Amino acid sequence: MLLDIRNLTISTHTANGRVNVLDKVSLQVDEGEIHTLVGESGSGKSLIARAIMGFLSPRWDVQADRLWFQDIDLLNLNAKQRREIIGVDIAMIFQDAKSYLDPNLTIGEQLNEAVLDQDLSASFFKRKAERKEKVISLLHRVGIKDHEVMMNSYAHQLSEGAAQKIMIASAIAHRPLLLIADEPTSTMEPATRQQIYRLLAQLHARYGMSILMISQDLGAIMQQTQRLSMIYSGQIMETGPADVLLAKPAHPYTEALLNTSLYRHAEMKPRARLPTLAGAEPTLQHLPIGCRLGPRCQYARPICVKTPVLEKHRERQLACHYPLHLEEDHE
Amino acid sequence: MRIYVLRQLVLLIITLFLLTIFAFCLSYWFPGDPVTNSSGIFSDDTMRYADAASSRGFDGNILVQYWHYLAHLFRGDWGISLLDSDPVFEQLQLRFGATLEIAVLAMLIALVPGVALGVLSALNFRKPIDHTILSMSLSGYSIPVFWFAQIAILLVAVRWGMLPIAGQINPLFNIEAVTGSILLDIFINQPENMGLAFRSAIRHITLPVLVLSVMPMMLLIRLTRSSMLDVLDKNYITSAYAKGLSTRRVISSHAIPNAMQNVIRELGSLLSLLITNTMIIEVIFSWPGIGSWLIRSIYERDYPVIQGGLLLIAALILCVHVALNLIHAWRYPQVRKDLHATS
Repeated sequence: MLLDIRNLTISTHTANGRVNVLDKVSLQVDEGEIHTLVGESGSGKSLIARAIMGFLSPRWDVQADRLWFQDIDLLNLNAKQRREIIGVDIAMIFQDAKSYLDPNLTIGEQLNEAVLDQDLSASFFKRKAERKEKVISLLHRVGIKDHEVMMNSYAHQLSEGAAQKIMIASAIAHRPLLLIADEPTSTMEPATRQQIYRLLAQLHARYGMSILMISQDLGAIMQQTQRLSMIYSGQIMETGPADVLLAKPAHPYTEALLNTSLYRHAEMKPRARLPTLAGAEPTLQHLPIGCRLGPRCQYARPICVKTPVLEKHRERQLACHYPLHLEEDHE
Repeated sequence: MRIYVLRQLVLLIITLFLLTIFAFCLSYWFPGDPVTNSSGIFSDDTMRYADAASSRGFDGNILVQYWHYLAHLFRGDWGISLLDSDPVFEQLQLRFGATLEIAVLAMLIALVPGVALGVLSALNFRKPIDHTILSMSLSGYSIPVFWFAQIAILLVAVRWGMLPIAGQINPLFNIEAVTGSILLDIFINQPENMGLAFRSAIRHITLPVLVLSVMPMMLLIRLTRSSMLDVLDKNYITSAYAKGLSTRRVISSHAIPNAMQNVIRELGSLLSLLITNTMIIEVIFSWPGIGSWLIRSIYERDYPVIQGGLLLIAALILCVHVALNLIHAWRYPQVRKDLHATS
């Protein structure tokens, strides 16, 4: 197991007392796996990514039974130990890539920084040339052929897609074992999104790096996704192989999200209503007790005020008192 | 970039041109006789008065007069002082050097600690260091410079006798003014006791420069701090950390350069404040600069001097603004995108 998160709870102080923004989240990523984490905005997906990277400001209180990367406890690292992992074995790309590029440095200068000294073999005086070579090959790897022009460009001269490619290039500079992609394509048009997905899939196939993809749209996840986790309001609802979950959602939330996606309703009658979840995602001040989906769940019963535990059901894990479709599974 | 430079320079020339029109009009707006106001020659000196009137085109219409005014301006004939009949242009040159000397030195002294303390306080946001620096800068900024200067003289110069009270250099040294800047003049004059002269000059210049540097330093701290806090919240700082760079590296190669962008832009407005303060300081420390001269001329209604001094200071501020814009655009590429020089 590459990344092992058990019962990660992130809380913060608000005017109404302590709020668990993430509530006992468990998430596992295997070597060479593409794992997609799906949830609406505000469900705490990015918090998980930032907790892994160690980017959270001190006002967030992070607690976990386990937050391990391979056999390293990510929760108890000092700055130096963290630097040996972050940017080396774990890399991250972000939503709105342009704003993650320094506006005052050329792309070449920024990629130079991403190439680590320990990856260079040449003597001190030839380092510069070797570094440049590495940067050029990085650019080629993410499909940018015109490297001279690109290296002398500034962030404001790039398109969103090109900026994301640069971010990917800088992320893969050290062949990370795990790439965390926090909604990398949510601000892009579909064609560019497919381009980026194809690029990520290629890198995954070539280097066997694991990808933890964070997405808010179940209808636009990477086709190559192997495992899928659904998160709602800081609780993991269901996790399992992508094809199983998409074919037979067992959790009411997975089903509801699938139903809102148009692809599932090719045979829908004209002018029919698109089925959606009733209500809105709860705010942090008014989190329901128990299963946080409860108030919006059409199958909810009184027992749902007790938080369901994530339990194994054959190849999937599920946190629901009344799962759907599971009977058929047992036939 | 070339287009940006050209645009800025064209803008500068046009503004300077407008400035000369304004300065020209001053001779008419000031009370009294325009010929006297612009040339500094009284009408009782009939011969020279007639000369001045004809050479400045006062027999022609206003455009002819303006043309002659420009010609005199470029020739370096800015009239003579009404008080002591010194040629304005030569005097301005000398005094300008003296003013620049303390203003530039004060700015340089303010720059490094100002920026460093600002960065330090931003990095320790809301910690005791931050509060200390911030309250220091607030109180330093609130102390009026004329009061502070006098207290400094009283304590440092009078009570403790560590530094001289006023002046540029001990008058026993016979230094001929060439540039007006005392340190440069000593170097040019090469007197036999140069070391002593330098020592005396530095002792004289220390107090005014230090007092003058307080306000820009305090402003710089606040500017740098807020700009730095802004930048530290930016996404590219997060991604720099994500690359695995050390905090030190992130701060020095991403945060500070970007924070300086705002600071450089604001330096221009700091300069106008600095010039105003320089004038006050010059009066208090009897520094023979343009400011003390100008203030005396305003008291004495010495119109040619007022006119020339205003023109020079305004031109200086303009040029510095344009220079800062150019530095800004040269260093910060996304500014160049904006080809129309808007500021």
